Amino acid sequence: MNWRWALRDLARHRLRTALSLAGIAVAAALLLDMMMLSGGLERSFEKLLLSRGYQLRVTPKGTLPFDTEATMGGASDLVARIRAEPGVAEAGAMLATSVHALAGAARRSLVAYGVDPTAQGFYVLETGTDLDPSHPDAILLGLPAAAIVGARIGDTVEIAGRLDPQVGVASGTRRMVVRGTARFLYDARDQPSVAVTLGTAQALAGRSARDRASVIMVRVGDDSAAASVAGHLRERIPEVGVSSIGEMVVQFRTRLSYFRQLSLILGLIALVVTVLLVGTLLAITVNEQIGVIATLRAIGVARRSVFLYVMQQGLALTVVGSAAGLVLGIITARWLDAILTSFPGLPASISFFVAEPGSLLRAAVVLLITGVIAGLPPSWRAMHAPVAATLRSDAL
Amino acid sequence: MRRPVVMAFLALIVTTPKAHSQDIGIAIERRLAESARLVVGDTVRVATDTGLGARAIVRAIYEPAPDPATIMRRDYHVRFELADLASLLGQPDRVDRFGVVLQAGIDPDTAAARLDRTAFGFSVFSSERIAAGSSTTFLVVSRFHRAIAVISIIASAIFLLCLMLLKVEERRADVAVLRLTGISRRTVFISLVIEAAVIALVGSALGVVMAAGASALTNWHYQGAFETSLHFSIMTLSTIAFAVALSVTLGIVAGAAAAWRLVGTPPMILWRRG
Repeated sequence: MNWRWALRDLARHRLRTALSLAGIAVAAALLLDMMMLSGGLERSFEKLLLSRGYQLRVTPKGTLPFDTEATMGGASDLVARIRAEPGVAEAGAMLATSVHALAGAARRSLVAYGVDPTAQGFYVLETGTDLDPSHPDAILLGLPAAAIVGARIGDTVEIAGRLDPQVGVASGTRRMVVRGTARFLYDARDQPSVAVTLGTAQALAGRSARDRASVIMVRVGDDSAAASVAGHLRERIPEVGVSSIGEMVVQFRTRLSYFRQLSLILGLIALVVTVLLVGTLLAITVNEQIGVIATLRAIGVARRSVFLYVMQQGLALTVVGSAAGLVLGIITARWLDAILTSFPGLPASISFFVAEPGSLLRAAVVLLITGVIAGLPPSWRAMHAPVAATLRSDAL
Repeated sequence: MRRPVVMAFLALIVTTPKAHSQDIGIAIERRLAESARLVVGDTVRVATDTGLGARAIVRAIYEPAPDPATIMRRDYHVRFELADLASLLGQPDRVDRFGVVLQAGIDPDTAAARLDRTAFGFSVFSSERIAAGSSTTFLVVSRFHRAIAVISIIASAIFLLCLMLLKVEERRADVAVLRLTGISRRTVFISLVIEAAVIALVGSALGVVMAAGASALTNWHYQGAFETSLHFSIMTLSTIAFAVALSVTLGIVAGAAAAWRLVGTPPMILWRRG
């Protein structure tokens, strides 16, 4: 009794084997998708937060970055105090505000990031020249903003910070020169964003935004010291909130706990389906072949060999079905990811389903264990079938 | 125009319960009252992120209307008189939005377009457009649920087909005996299909009961977790009808296919004597 016999027996019942394989494949695909969903979003979010190497965020107390419109006062002093703390390698403030690009009577609303070009983690320059504190009238456009404003590098655009409905005119208007295009890391798909220097953004936002910032990004020299530096900053500057990447991921996880719970439930259902399919198929196979098994036992075939024969059938089904399921899972994950990443306001670089070797391996191991567990009862029954009684009843 | 609204992010600190005539009145939501152990008549200090603050008396505790859009954020809400909040923010005579009630017969989109042209500095939207915009998140979740449902239906359909096939094939010896005793193929076929239909119906009924239990459990868990009366899982008659119809149809089709194969096989082969 060997693998060849087990496989040949499965091949003899093509329809039932094909259906079982299809069932296991779909269940395996669902399980893999749910494993990718359960941790993928967090890993994707963490990767995004660390993409520019800033491990800490300083925000108005009680808020998370980009969570509210609250801002912090005395931004330049705050940045100076943070930079002076031991362990801090770099700190840069950012003010987010809405501005309007004017072209004749037309106006286009844009999101403006006011940054310190020497310490910013919000965009990656794609073409042209980066912002420079000595050129306050320079602007970088994201591709969606460039498309709706219709401007290219070297063009001049008129930007208004505020539109006053009472007098019907724009105020705080500045003519700005497009120096380049940038990819904004935290932007939702098609969000029209621009980057200007921090001082320019504060001026555009008006008197109420003078020396204010939405968030300060902090880079710690030694990654392993990020948590202790965060604790130290909290003690030294209690009037603001300090969040490490890990803490932000925890907050993010709490808000999206629905997806973790859903993935757990559906993953368990997929496992139950696999166990039932493999178990039922093997139970019926053993029932059908109980006479043959009894005969084999009668002529001296060891119980262990009978046990292995049934287990091999179960494992063969699980391995082949799971392999097909893992491929199917990757395809369906792309489809599901395309649906979920259309959430409004979600950064375009976030993925819900992240295919990593770890997820694939975990899914494969879990499925293998499931196949073994499902095969145990019928294998045990085959091994302990009463030889004489079975042969007698089979002969009738 | 009516109901202008100002929104702000404020800090709230419980202070001594001694009221003054210049104190402002606020209404706080029940969750906040429970969390901060506040009751009507308590005095608190409310402050903006710029440090501006004022003493306020808790005049009322209210239960906000359940809103799925904000349920995950779990923010606490406080209601002010408009003038009090504007004064607290240092922005008198400014609002975030107005609600506008139109006269009967006026088309909201036409009115919105006309108002939008009167000046810039604000945008005008009909309630339908705002509802469509704010429900985008739920539309995405709904599309995701539908996609998961498609996968689940495919998986359960294959599972059901496989089980019914195996179940009928298990009756090989019985069918052989029936055929050898002279029972017609038609009778055997019909009896096997009826058996499959009964199994599918009973299985579907059990499935509906299990789904009702799972739905109740889901609502109990999430309503408790989010302290809301929102329903997270709703079993509609159409959902039940679809699920039962699908499983019974699949069960009968699978049973019929397997029965057809069995009655087409010579009885001696079914009895492993051929």
